[in-house]
Amino acid sequence: MSFSWKEALDKIEEHREVARGLGGPERVQRQHDQGRLTIRERISHLADQFTEVGEFAGFRVRDSSGNDVGRLPSSYVCGLGTVDGRQVAIGGEDFTVRAGAPQTYLDRYKGGMGGFVEDLAHEYRIPVVLFMEGIGGDVSAQDEVGHSYLVSSMSWKRSIELMSEVPVLVAVLGSAAGGTAGRAVLSHFSVISEGSVLFAGGPPVVRRALGKAIDKHELGGARMHTSVSGAIDNLVTDETEAIEQIKTVLGYLPQNVWELPPRGDRTDPVDRSCDAVLDIVPENRRRPYRMSAVMAEIVDRDSFFEMGGEWGKSVVTAFGRIDGIPVGLIGNNPMHLAGALDASAAEKQIRFTDLCGTFHLPIIHFVDVPGFMVGPEAERGGVVRWGMRAIQALVEADVPVVTIHVRKAYGMAVSATSDPDALGLRIAWPTGEWGDMPIEGGVEAGFRREIEKAENPEQFRREVEERLLAESDPWKTVEAFGIEMMIDPRRTRTVVAQFINASVNSMRTKLGPRQRPWSMRP
Amino acid sequence: MEEVRAELTGSVWRILATVGATVTKGEELMILESMKMEIPVESPVDGTIESIEVAEGDIVESGTLLAKVALS
Repeated sequence: MSFSWKEALDKIEEHREVARGLGGPERVQRQHDQGRLTIRERISHLADQFTEVGEFAGFRVRDSSGNDVGRLPSSYVCGLGTVDGRQVAIGGEDFTVRAGAPQTYLDRYKGGMGGFVEDLAHEYRIPVVLFMEGIGGDVSAQDEVGHSYLVSSMSWKRSIELMSEVPVLVAVLGSAAGGTAGRAVLSHFSVISEGSVLFAGGPPVVRRALGKAIDKHELGGARMHTSVSGAIDNLVTDETEAIEQIKTVLGYLPQNVWELPPRGDRTDPVDRSCDAVLDIVPENRRRPYRMSAVMAEIVDRDSFFEMGGEWGKSVVTAFGRIDGIPVGLIGNNPMHLAGALDASAAEKQIRFTDLCGTFHLPIIHFVDVPGFMVGPEAERGGVVRWGMRAIQALVEADVPVVTIHVRKAYGMAVSATSDPDALGLRIAWPTGEWGDMPIEGGVEAGFRREIEKAENPEQFRREVEERLLAESDPWKTVEAFGIEMMIDPRRTRTVVAQFINASVNSMRTKLGPRQRPWSMRP
Repeated sequence: MEEVRAELTGSVWRILATVGATVTKGEELMILESMKMEIPVESPVDGTIESIEVAEGDIVESGTLLAKVALS
């Protein structure tokens, strides 16, 4: 056969047409009708520039007699892109082709579970953004292989390795079931769009297994996963917002763990007085307020971005910047459970602490916690174990921590806000109050016998309370250097910025993957 | 229709919303008291108050139905 350049180049063009066609106009239309973009559209919205790999990988459609009747592009699109000037590996299922089924028909996976796109991120040490929309492994995949295979023959190693090397950012847009769902949660930050669903097994599987009929949204809807299970971090309205949030979080994180997070613009003066905090924190101790509002006032303007805000709500976890330096913000939220730390809040805090430790973000703790959550529900939820894990996570994070005592700080939960074996820098506001237990509950518990025996129990209790309240004047602790600083809250930004700027010296010496000193979480 | 339930055990301190009122997501419907704190109960959605299931002074448990909000 003779070779001609024209024919060879035409052949490339021909293959390109097939690739561009995705799963065909009908399937593409259906995708659009359901308010979803195709994978190619998603990638072009995310990346300024994209070099595709495996563009011409495809799937041969056969009829029931085994004859070739056509070609479809492969059910996965991936490559190297530029996002806000940064090189990023990008991949995603093509739901219009075989519902994004695994690429068992290819010699090499492009993505979905490890695959080229993850090898690319690993090899070049660049972030990976994955658009998840697929049904996971299914019987037709097995049919192609020709024999049943053990799922344990497929490796998760690369996906797990990436978690300690580069940012792994995921957007669930559509249905993510089985293996696709699993891949989605193996990430540092994930979003799911309204109307999308995620589950280990979908309604047909549930019906067969449990005899139970259930709607897919009730089973694994976006709202449920962001507000109950916490399997996905943020709920977004639509695909545009999904891409915005991915880009936003990418902006706080380095290309890989061998670098410091990128310093942003230093346009907000560090000597800005945080006057608003005097209005946000009520003078009435019983009244709650939004800790997120306090955080937003301290960090660089418009740099506050909350992660997991609808779940584990008695704690707020968010990204921010201080003088351009990306920081992790963790704060108790008095609006929920009076700010008490329950199992889900602790779990959220642990995950975020681990993320900060992984990518070298200093942590600023904003403390207003009455303690671990109490009561039978909290105990059944394992609050003690989860609370202790939160303490361990902070100690292991090995990043600079600055702790601001906004208001309450009682009980073991406070150990999760500052590590005395690290710098232990704690900055009190005049509203700060602390101890083993709040005086009111503490006196009734600790002096119960004496109160019962007293001539006038009510008066005795009040007298004890007054004495202890006088002792617990925060200034006494300050004077004993039992806490490192007491400041006018309006100076918080200025003071914190000094310490965070200085802490960069330390972080520079601790780059690379985190080495965990303990072998397991209790 | 969204059910608004108590997130913890306490008592109903103050009811702010009335049946039939239009509310926005995050608007305070009532305030519970627990752990020596005022615990705000916010509407989870934009909508109209279909019912208030408790009265001021009632003791509520975690999970007790407090109100129903019809989605707008």
